[in-house]
This record gives sequence, C-alpha cells and structure tokens, in this order.
Amino acid sequence: MEVSEYELIKAAKSGNDSAFEELIYHYDKSVLAIALNFVRDRDTAKDIYQDVLIRVYRGLKNFEMRSEFSTWLFRITTNVCLTYKSRQKKREFISLDERFETEDEDFGKFEIMDSEPDPGETVDSSDMGEIIRNAVDSLSVKQRMTFVLKHYEGYKIREIAEMLNCKEGTVKKYLFDAIRNLRKKLELIYQTAY
Amino acid sequence: MNHNEFKKRILISLFGELSKYEQAELEEHLQSCEECRQELEQQTHLLSLVSKYKSLEIDEKLLQDARSQLRGAIRAEKQRSHLLDNLAQFFSGLVTAPYRAALSGVAVLAIGLFLGYLFFHSPQVTLINDNVRPASDINFYENDVKIKNIRFIDPVASDGEIEFTFDAVKPLHIKGNVNDSKVQRILTYAMLNEQNPGARLNSINAMDSEAPQKFDKDIKDALITVVVSDENPGVRREALKFLNKFPYDDDIKQAYIHVLTADTVTGLRIEAINALSNLTKKALDLKQSEVDLFKQKLETDKNSYIRYKTKTILQNYN
Repeated sequence: MEVSEYELIKAAKSGNDSAFEELIYHYDKSVLAIALNFVRDRDTAKDIYQDVLIRVYRGLKNFEMRSEFSTWLFRITTNVCLTYKSRQKKREFISLDERFETEDEDFGKFEIMDSEPDPGETVDSSDMGEIIRNAVDSLSVKQRMTFVLKHYEGYKIREIAEMLNCKEGTVKKYLFDAIRNLRKKLELIYQTAY
Repeated sequence: MNHNEFKKRILISLFGELSKYEQAELEEHLQSCEECRQELEQQTHLLSLVSKYKSLEIDEKLLQDARSQLRGAIRAEKQRSHLLDNLAQFFSGLVTAPYRAALSGVAVLAIGLFLGYLFFHSPQVTLINDNVRPASDINFYENDVKIKNIRFIDPVASDGEIEFTFDAVKPLHIKGNVNDSKVQRILTYAMLNEQNPGARLNSINAMDSEAPQKFDKDIKDALITVVVSDENPGVRREALKFLNKFPYDDDIKQAYIHVLTADTVTGLRIEAINALSNLTKKALDLKQSEVDLFKQKLETDKNSYIRYKTKTILQNYN
C-alpha cells in the first residue's frame, strides 16, 4: 500500500531516513531539472541539488505543514539557485545589488559581444544554439529563473509566485521583461529566421 | 480594455494561462488588430526558437549520481549532528545547578576533544590543495589516482581558461607495526571519519590488538570523541574498552561519567560503572558535583546492577 505524503513527512520528521528518501524522490528530479536549466552545468546542478536537499533534511523538523511540501521544497530550490548565481556574480566582481536594483535597465550590461553573429555570415545551428543559450544566460537572475520555470519546466504562474514568494503580477512582469530582453538579444537571428 | 492591455495578454495566452473568457476577448480583439496579430506571431516564433535549444535533459546517470552524493552528505550530516547533540547533552547535564563546579574541567576536555577532532578531521588523501596549480601539473593519470568531487570555480572558458578544484585520491597499500605512529595516525583518522562502522571498529581493534608501547594523547582524545559521539554502540563499546587500558586521568573519568549518565545502551553504562568501581577512592577523587550526579543516577537508572554499583561507590563519600 502506498504511504501518503503526510505519513512520509511525519516519519521523515521523526528521523526515518528511508521515509525521507521516498518523500524527496517524488520531487528530486524536478529539483535537478530546475537547477540544470538554470545553471546549465551538470556538476553545479548536482551541487545545488545536494545543497537544497540537505537544507530540506535539516529544516524538516521545523516544517509545520502549513504549506504544501512541494511548495516549500521548490521555494528552497529557487532560493539556492538565486543565491548560487549571486555568489557567482560576486566572484565575477559584478555588484549583485546593482544587478537587482536595475532589474529592468540591466539589459545591455552583459552584451554577448563574442557570440553575436556577423550579419554577413551564415549562422549554423550549433552557433544559434550557443547564441540562444547565452541570451537566456544574460537575463537578470529573477527574469531567468521565472523564464526557466515557466517556459522550460512548465510551472503555472501561481506556482512560480509561491516558489519565489511574490505576487503573480510580479511573475508576469519578469516574464514580459524576459521576453522583451530576449527579443533584443536575439534580434539579428530572430529577424533573419522570421 | 485598451490595445496595450490586450498586447500584454498575448504572452500569458501563449503560456496557456488565460481564462476562457479572457482568451475569447483576446481572440476577438486579434481579429480587428493587425499590430497584435503581428505581436502574437513574433512571440510565438521567439518561444519556438528558444524551445529548440533546451538541450539539457536529466538523464538517469545524472540523477543517480546526485542521489548517491546526497546519501553520503546525509550520512555526514547525521554524524555531525550526532556529535553536536551528544556534546550538547553532555554539557547541559553539567551546567545544571549542582554541577556547575565541574564545568571548568569539562570545558578543558571539550576543547581537547574539539582540537583532536579538527586535527584528525583533515583528509590526508587530497593532493590538490587551495594553491592554484597549472594544468601542466596534472601528470598522475597513470598512477591509479581517482578524481573525485570536482567543483567548478570558473566553468566558463570566456578567456580560454577554466578553474576547478578536485580531490585526487590514490589507493595505498600499507604494512607496518601497529605501534608505528604513522600507522596509528591513519587508524585514528579512520576511527573518527570512516563512514562504514565496520571500518571504524576494525581501526580501534587493530590498535587495541597489541600492548601499546606508549599512550598517545591524540589517540586518547580520539577515543573519548568516539565514546561520546559515535552513533554506533558497537564502536563506542570497543573505544571504551581500549580507553580502559590508558592510564586513568580526569579526561577519562569525565568520559566514563558521560557514558554512565547519557548513554542509552545499558551494557555501555555497565562498562563505565565497572571501570569507575575498580578505582580506589583516591584515584576516583569525585568532586561534590560529581557525587551529586552519582546520587541522581542511583535514583534514576533503570538497571539494578548499575544502581547497586553506584551505591557502593557513594558509600565512600558519605
């Protein structure tokens, strides 16, 4: 007989590691997928996966089941991803505060100079893939997280708002801004192919 | 609703998140608005273009690797929290009113344990340290070196260079005298850090198999750490037996008292009370706070043998 999620959470909270594994194995592939599509590096995605689930393991005793377990888990996932990007950006000597504060204006600071195609050259499919990946990578962290969750992972706007702990309107704004920035970034190949 | 608001709805429509009513309103507007129809086509095209390059999928190997690493991390987490819980329990018992006087001695012991733990906790097998080495240094592929735990510091070769750290682990085959200090150092590291309890047990038994030529303080501290914090009762028992062979001192007395008052395994508490009973009054030298602790034990321990032995010890202090 399949044990309910509630029973698994209760058992895991009391220190039953098998229950913890069974509980997280319902969701851990999604955690890994979000991390992988956000950071686009398998090893880093595994590090984020581990970081998220160890936080869940530590925090489970204080989880009071006021929200869905999955909401709580994915909120931790998005937080760890965003924190990871912040740390990475700090290592690149770019002010995170500046990046967050200029959420809408930061477009242009991260031009993909080396990747943009020369209009006179033919862009082959691998180049195009790289350009598109770079364009997604160049979005601000919150635009990118929202775009990855919506477009690549297929979550509903309401679910993303719960994960990011913000209003649905804010999620929509991030999505609009992400699309606007992607259009600008991809203007050349976009116009050529269109 | 004005034209700009309809334009904003287009993206939400493409994500399939408009209500039926909102969708119908948008479609009606699209029939009469050329600009919005163009916007719809462009956004559709953009999303389809971006979708083509979602190339990173989760494969089974990646998932299994991640799960396997997580299991190791959880084991380490449990060890860590077990150690902290035990130390917290150890101290909380002593900080209560009658036992404050014993706190200074315990603090010295704790610092010793902590330093011992830190000293032995550093992995001895890591060849690559924090100093950045050039890639030309990597010449150990032929020598059975396994590369583990790669962590990327700079994974993007924007300037042609990437940066990462890893553990280079090489298997070694050692044969040597159990009293050799280098052998003992490895065994001590293993008793504190090996994840497999069997390996921890074997490390202790190996050192206990020969009469020690000298009693190393680091080994004693490590044994006390194991007695106080190892999650496996069998490992704690072997550590306690080995500790019995060390010259008695105040650190060892505190470890016995900890086992007697905090260990949940009756057999281990009996080992501890037996060890304490075998000491002369002069050697035992209980302080008043410790006498109070024994009195409490006399009233609360579930085991009649432990209560009897405790009473016998206390008769010397009436």
